[in-house]
Amino acid sequence: MSEAEKLADYRARARAWLEANMEPLGPTAKSRFSFAEDDDFTPERLAEQQALQRKVYDAGYAGISWPAEYGGQGLPKAYERAFEQEAAHFVMPNLGIAGGTTMGVCGRTILAHGSPELLRTHIPRVLSGEELIVQLFSDPEAGSDLAGVRTQAVRDGDRWVLNGSKIWTSGAYYANYGMCLVRTNWDVPKHRGLTWFLVPLDAPGVTVQRIKQINGNAEFCTEFFDDVELTDADIIGELDNGWTVAQTMLMFERGGGGEAAAMSSPDPRDIAPDLRELAAAVGRLDDPQARRLITTAHVDDVVRHHLSRRLVGLMRSDSRQAGALASYGKLASGVYDPIRANLALEIADGGASTWQHGDSPGAHAATDLLNCRFMAIAGGTVEMQRNSIGERVLGLPREPSFDSERPFREVVRAAMNWSGKVG
Amino acid sequence: MSVRLFPKLDENQRLMLDAVVRLTEAGCPLTGVRDRADGSAPSDPGLRRTLADVGCYGLLSTEELGGGSVSGNGVVDAALIAAERGARLQPGPFVATSVVVHALTVAGANAHQADVLTSLIAGDAAASWTVVDAGSLSVRRHEQEWVLSGTVAAVQDADECEWLLMTLAQDGNQILIPLAADGAKLVPLERLDVTHRFFDVHLDDVTVPVANLLTPAGSSQDLVDRQFSIAAVLAAAEAVGAMDSDLRLAVEYAKTRIAFGRPIGSFQAVKHRLADTSLIVEMAKGIVAAAADAVGRGAADGDALASVAKAFVSERSIEAAHNCFQVFGGIGFTWEHDQHLFLRRLASDAYLFGSPNWHRDRLWKHADTESRRAHV
Ligand SMILES: Cc1cc2nc3c(=O)[nH]c(=O)nc-3n(C[C@H](O)[C@H](O)[C@H](O)COP(=O)(O)OP(=O)(O)OC[C@H]3O[C@@H](n4cnc5c(N)ncnc54)[C@H](O)[C@@H]3O)c2cc1C
Repeated sequence: MSEAEKLADYRARARAWLEANMEPLGPTAKSRFSFAEDDDFTPERLAEQQALQRKVYDAGYAGISWPAEYGGQGLPKAYERAFEQEAAHFVMPNLGIAGGTTMGVCGRTILAHGSPELLRTHIPRVLSGEELIVQLFSDPEAGSDLAGVRTQAVRDGDRWVLNGSKIWTSGAYYANYGMCLVRTNWDVPKHRGLTWFLVPLDAPGVTVQRIKQINGNAEFCTEFFDDVELTDADIIGELDNGWTVAQTMLMFERGGGGEAAAMSSPDPRDIAPDLRELAAAVGRLDDPQARRLITTAHVDDVVRHHLSRRLVGLMRSDSRQAGALASYGKLASGVYDPIRANLALEIADGGASTWQHGDSPGAHAATDLLNCRFMAIAGGTVEMQRNSIGERVLGLPREPSFDSERPFREVVRAAMNWSGKVG
Repeated sequence: MSVRLFPKLDENQRLMLDAVVRLTEAGCPLTGVRDRADGSAPSDPGLRRTLADVGCYGLLSTEELGGGSVSGNGVVDAALIAAERGARLQPGPFVATSVVVHALTVAGANAHQADVLTSLIAGDAAASWTVVDAGSLSVRRHEQEWVLSGTVAAVQDADECEWLLMTLAQDGNQILIPLAADGAKLVPLERLDVTHRFFDVHLDDVTVPVANLLTPAGSSQDLVDRQFSIAAVLAAAEAVGAMDSDLRLAVEYAKTRIAFGRPIGSFQAVKHRLADTSLIVEMAKGIVAAAADAVGRGAADGDALASVAKAFVSERSIEAAHNCFQVFGGIGFTWEHDQHLFLRRLASDAYLFGSPNWHRDRLWKHADTESRRAHV
C-alpha cells in the first residue's frame, strides 16, 4: 500500500469506528470548546466524560501521534489530523478547560522534557483521561513576567518543601495535578533559578479555591501551598533550568503547535449568523447601518481565518520562526475579539443591556463583551505578543532590562524602591 | 526584497517575479516615481514593453490569444506582480489594463481580440476601465455607431492609455472607446496620489462602431461582477505591496533613529505600533492571497473573498500608513521623504474599484442572492 492509501484506509477505519461508537453531532450540539461555556464540572459530569475518553483511548485513537511507549500510537501527524477531521462530526469527549491544558500544553511539554519514569507514570493516564494537569504558572505577584515567580521550593534532605501560591489556574478544581513553576534559587538571575514540579493537587498542604469571574463562572482557581512535600522525581526537566522548559510551554500555549493556530479561527462561510440573529432580535436586520456593522465583523472574521492559514504556511516553510509567528494569531484574537464584541453592542443598540431570557441574542452579546479580553490577557497579554513580534520578527532592539543579570533576591528589593535612575 | 504575498511559490512564478522586480527596480526606482510625481510625464512605455515580454499583461488572457498564466491561476500570478509593483509605487494602469485584457478575452469581438488585445498583451498599448451612471453620459445609437457625449470623471492614468473600457452601471453594457477619437479630450486633475495621474475624459459626440460593445456569453452583469472582483484583488495586492514597503522603511528607521540614548524602536510605544502594523500587513497578505486564488479558480466564494479583501485592505492600509508616519516624526512631513507617497497612494487606492462600504454592501447583496438561489 502507498502512504496515501494507508492514510485513506486509516481514515476509513476511524470513520467506521466513530460511527459505531460515538454519537453524531446534532444541529444543536456544540462542536467546539468555548471559553464562554459556563458549565461546571461536577463529579458526575467529569466521570461521564472520562469514561468517554477511556473508550477513545482503548480503541487506540488517543494520542495518535504520541510515542507508543507511553500509551500513544506513534503515528505521523497526518493520521492524527485525519482522525480529528472525521471526529469533528461526532460528539467527542470534552474535559473542559483542564482537558485543554492537559492535552494542549502540559502533556506536550512534559513529553518534551520529562524523565522516562515521569512519562511512564503520567502520559498513559493523561491519554486515557484519568489524569488532568493544569497550568500552575502565574503567581499573584507575577504573570506577564513569568520568570519573576516567587513561589518557592527549598531542599530539605532528599525532599523539597513547597511554599507560596498560584492564581488564575483554569480548571484546577477538578484536576489531579498542576505543572508548577517554582523558584529554587534566589541568588542567581531570575531565569536561572527556576524549576518545574508536577504537583499533586490532593497532596497535604495544598488548598484549591475557586474564584468567581466577571461572567459569573468560577472556572479559574487559586492554590495555596503550605509546606507541601515533593521529591526529585516530581521535577520536570532539570533543576534550576526551568526556563528552557518554559520556552517549550510558551510555544504550545500560543498555539505554536502549528496546525492548532489554523484550527482556532474557523472558516466563516456565512455572514456572522450570531450578529444577524442579534439584529433580527432588535428589529434592525433591514437597517443599512446595522448591516454595515455586521459586514464589518464578517470581513474581520474572514480575514482572521485566512491569517491563520497564512501563518500555518509560513510555519511550515520556516519552523524555527513558529513560536514568533504564533504571536500574530494570539495578537489578532486579542485585538479583534474586543472589536467584534463592541460591534455587537452597537448592533444591539441597548439590547445587550437588559434581557428577559438568558438564552437570547442580547444576553449572548453581553456575555461576549465580558469574555472578549480573554485572549488579550490570558496566556500572555497583547503587550507581550507585540514585544515578541517587534523583537523576534521585525528585529527591533530590546528594551533595557533591569532584572536579567542581577540575583533575583536583589531585583525584588530594588524594584520596591524604584527611582527611575539607572547606573 | 519580495513582498511574499504567498508563503510558497512555484519555480515559474519565482522566475517571473524575479524578472519583474529586477526590471522595475532598474527601470523605475522610487526616485523615478518621485521625478514623475514632481513633473507630469506618463510612465515609460519602454519599461511596459519589457514587462510585457515577461508576460505581465497577458496573465488574464489565454495562450490562443497570445497570453496565459504561468501557474495555471492567472489572477494569482497577476496579484503577485501587483504586490511587487505596489511595493515600488509603480505608476501606470496595471490593474485596469489587466481587467480590460480579461474582458476582451472573454467578450471582445474577434477583430478586437486580434488587434486591441494583442497590443495590450504586447505592452504596445494600455487601457483604463471606468464604470459610469447613465445620468452622467448620453449613449445613442446612430446606425452602425454609438454616439457618446458627457464626462467620465477621474480616469486613472488616462494619458498613457489608448483605450478606455466604459461600463454602464445600469445594464452592464460595456463599450471600448479609443481615447484618440475625435471629440475625446483629457483634462488633468489635481490629485492626492501623485504617483498616478487622473483625468476627466470629456466626450463630445464621440462615435465608435457598434462592434465595440462587448458581447459576453453569459449575462453582462456577471462579467462586470467578475471584473470588479479581479480589480478588487489586484488593487488590494498593490496596496499590500505599498504597505509592506512603508512598514519596512519605518522599521529600519526605528532601528537607527536615536532618542534618549536608545534607538526609538526599543520604546514600546514605537515597537507596539509597528507590531500592530505588521499584524495588519500579515492579515492583508493572507486575505489577498486567498481571494486571488479563489477568483482565479472561479470558486463559488471568489466574489465574496475579493470584496472582503478590498474592504479590509482599503481601511487598514490607511491605518498602517498613519502608523508609519507617526514613527518617522517630523521627517515624514517633508516632501523629500517617501512616506507621503505611500500615504497618498494608499488613501487614494482605498476608494478605487469600490470603496470599503461599497464592498460591504456587495457582500450583503451576494449573500442574499446566494440564499435565494439555495431556496429555489
Ligand atoms: C481567564 C483567564 C485564565 C487564565 N488561566 C491561567 C492558567 O490556567 N494558568 C496560569 O498560570 N495563568 C492563567 N491565567 C493568567 C494569565 O496568564 C495572566 O493573567 C497573564 O499572563 C497576565 O499576567 P497578570 O495578570 O499578572 O498581569 P500583569 O503581568 O501584572 O500585567 C498587567 C498589565 O501590565 C502589562 N505589562 C506587564 N509587563 C509589561 C511589560 N513588560 N511591557 C508592557 N506591558 C506590560 C500587561 O500587558 C497588562 O496589561 C489566566 C488568566 C485569565 C484572565
